[in-house]
Amino acid sequence: MLQYRYELNRRRALHALAAFAAGSPLRAFQQDPFRDHSRIPALTEMRTALDFEAVAFVRLPRPVFDYTAYGSDSEFTLRRNRQAFDWVELTPHAQPVRTPDTAAQLLGTKLNYPILLSPTAGHLQLHPDGEPATYAGATAAAATPMIVSNVSSVPFEKIAGASRGPIWFQLYPRNDSESNHETLERVQGAGAQAVVVTVDQQASFFERILHSRHLNPGAPGGVRRRTSSRGAPRNPYRVPEDRLFYEWKLFDEWRKIVKVPLIVKGVLTPEDAKICLEHGIDAVYVSNHGARSLDYAPSSLEVLPDIVDAVGGRVPVIFDSGIRRGADILKALALGASAVGLGRIARWGLAAYGAEGVQRALEIMQAELKLAMMAAGCASLKAVNRSLVRTDFP
Amino acid sequence: MSITRRNAAQWLAALPGACAAQQLIGEAPGRITPVAELVNSYEAEAMAGRVLHPERFAEIAAGSRAPFDRITFRPRLMANSLDLDLSVELFGVKLFAPIIAGPVADLSRFHAGGEAEWLKGAEAAKTHALLAAGGGTFPVACYSGDWAGFDKVRAASKAPVLMKGILRAEDAKAAVERGASGIVVSNYRSGVAELPGVAATISVLPAIADAVGGRIPILIDGGFARGTDVLKALALGARAVLVVRPLLWGLAAYGAPGVQQVLELMQSELARAMVMSGKPNVAAIGRDTVRLHKR
Repeated sequence: MLQYRYELNRRRALHALAAFAAGSPLRAFQQDPFRDHSRIPALTEMRTALDFEAVAFVRLPRPVFDYTAYGSDSEFTLRRNRQAFDWVELTPHAQPVRTPDTAAQLLGTKLNYPILLSPTAGHLQLHPDGEPATYAGATAAAATPMIVSNVSSVPFEKIAGASRGPIWFQLYPRNDSESNHETLERVQGAGAQAVVVTVDQQASFFERILHSRHLNPGAPGGVRRRTSSRGAPRNPYRVPEDRLFYEWKLFDEWRKIVKVPLIVKGVLTPEDAKICLEHGIDAVYVSNHGARSLDYAPSSLEVLPDIVDAVGGRVPVIFDSGIRRGADILKALALGASAVGLGRIARWGLAAYGAEGVQRALEIMQAELKLAMMAAGCASLKAVNRSLVRTDFP
Repeated sequence: MSITRRNAAQWLAALPGACAAQQLIGEAPGRITPVAELVNSYEAEAMAGRVLHPERFAEIAAGSRAPFDRITFRPRLMANSLDLDLSVELFGVKLFAPIIAGPVADLSRFHAGGEAEWLKGAEAAKTHALLAAGGGTFPVACYSGDWAGFDKVRAASKAPVLMKGILRAEDAKAAVERGASGIVVSNYRSGVAELPGVAATISVLPAIADAVGGRIPILIDGGFARGTDVLKALALGARAVLVVRPLLWGLAAYGAPGVQQVLELMQSELARAMVMSGKPNVAAIGRDTVRLHKR
């Protein structure tokens, strides 16, 4: 059939329309399908703690979200922290339990659930209400103790005034006795019921934020390296110096100043757990800092049983790094932890919905733990022991 | 293919996705990040992939990390590291860090500056280099081949001679008995075909270190791209690590500054890993620094 050359038919019209769309400046306004959502779900729609991460992602500038998400260097340990829970299986009793008792005593603090808020930095970046909101949310969630970070964005005293629940303090020691002394006196005066000294993360480096630096020119950390507050380090390997002075004998000094329970956070070997006992420490905190300290460190879970054995029940063992579900908590308790810490979950809750988000995220974890205990047939935390799990660590 | 209404509508529907995908790709293909911004050796690899012909790049693309992923650390706490020291003494030479630029034939394949740029970059990072053709800045001879050849080279050479290409404990013992000054645990031998399924060097290192029993120093190469990889080799009995591919990535993309940057990144990574596993100097590193996993 002979066809006129410039005839406009339906086919050509569609073709031209498509070409116009392709070249149109309007495409710059099209949605990014991975970032944008038609709406932000309501707090009541949150079903698991993991749901909060997606909301936090939408709420936060990318660099701030990344700061919460990332682990050190290649993030091997970050992946392993989650993998490790797959290496532990629960073997429930045949008889389920209706109303498990989740209460515990830890270092003089009464716990309704064996759950603490791990110390994490700078909550003002996550939400304008900052740490006071985190504390209020934690207290509202069955008086969950909050461990306030040494690098909080609001001073400890101000946070402590925001609620009445249990509150602990975490210290990054400085190479300055007077400053440590002053800080420890101050927070104890303001009501800190325990002091956690973090002794890992002397020289961590986070790469993830730098991988996307071209998208975030002003990203925290940026391309600049963390430099020492005291100028160029003594070593020629460009390792910042402010946390290289750590020595065990410093604990003898801090032990005298700290009248409340003193806890060492970052223990990953039975040898170090035993040294903690020699220095009169009140609890051993097994943690790899949420995979933010040494890359290729083991997952906290795989080293927990050996450390619990080394401690031999003389002091409580606290556990964190990688917990996302109630069953994860049950596994850690079965392997000998007295209580567990949650870090990122509280950060997601705060970023997504403020104080109420923290409360809800914690309540979800508490409810999940209760359900797990019911299904596993554990009437109380005393019934949660190593016979409840089979482990297959590589 | 004639354009049907269906085709056109499909194409139109796919457009928003295509546009969004374009926005998600961070950097235009071919952009080379300024060398000072690299944060690890694998970023240098990505840059090398942009400047080299795909076939050339395939020769030096990164290997599997699985062997390193089966080793974790046993980090010890509270070791004062203010006087952090990575230096080791090897064949009378004091190394700034236990990292040596390994031998590669014909570096001009990867960068026009070739060996000159390689040596310049290594020197800027205070690192000694072994060259395939000899004449590097590390005073040893590296031999790979049969034992008769090794005996000849050893007899003729005034410099210490290392037997390279050891993967079995019995060969390590033989090297000690034949008077080798050291061995290089390596699965690369010039002139010998690559063996599919060959063991990773880091996996066979412990057995070889046991066989040698400290009588001669052990060097190792094969896939070392991170400071933590180097620390693992030191813990399992190596005295120093020969790094090759990561430096080739740096060389290909940037010349000497790339070699320097990758070496300095690996030195810093090693230093940080040593601090956080409680080892302020190389002598403190031992087998109990690591834990080996079956999977």
